[in-house]
Amino acid sequence: MAMKRSHKKTDENNSVQSDPVKAAIDYGIDISMLIQNLKRPPGERIRRHQIALDTTLALCKAKRI
Amino acid sequence: MKGDFYNILEHLANGSVDFVIIGGFAGVVHGCTCVTEDIDICCDFSPANLLALQKSLDGLHPVHRMTPHRKKLHLTEKTCKGFKNLYLDTDIGQLDCLDSIEGVGNYQQVRQASELYEVNDVKIRVLNLDSLIKAKKAMNRPRDKEALLQLEAIKKLRTTRQKGR
Repeated sequence: MAMKRSHKKTDENNSVQSDPVKAAIDYGIDISMLIQNLKRPPGERIRRHQIALDTTLALCKAKRI
Repeated sequence: MKGDFYNILEHLANGSVDFVIIGGFAGVVHGCTCVTEDIDICCDFSPANLLALQKSLDGLHPVHRMTPHRKKLHLTEKTCKGFKNLYLDTDIGQLDCLDSIEGVGNYQQVRQASELYEVNDVKIRVLNLDSLIKAKKAMNRPRDKEALLQLEAIKKLRTTRQKGR
């Protein structure tokens, strides 16, 4: 009984603490990408964003052949 | 190259423009994976700073992108006083300049809520994560929903990482 109560308390704590992460996952955000990005220095984040933007703009201009 | 954001920031920083990066690009610096097509900055709208901004963009052909004929940016000490926002397009990307941010305040308050980053030897001020979240919440735009969820998750992940150290 005591074990069950303790287990429940832990679950509650986890659910409160991980709420923003859970909300992001529920929305469909790939949290692993955020985790990887946080390991990078800001300059590298900017560089990778520029690559993503350049690719997006190139695809917008792409013509169907 | 069109859309070279780092290059725009380098121009501003080298031109001694007093500014803070806000909006989607600030989110990128904090770790967001959303792609943004412009740079938003909050800056001191004093004539001296706006003239410094104009000078720093010299050669990038800045124009007012919201005006019908995309008028060239041509500020003088006198005309500077009439602006609260500047929505510009340059040869290397769009730059939006605001004098205040909803949820945070005027430029001085935004500056106080900023952090200094060094990127490739260029020092840039970026709105801190908490204030960026506040600003996004205050604007309450549907298009910011994903960015806001990412920022709040980043805040949580950062705290978890710091605790784990």
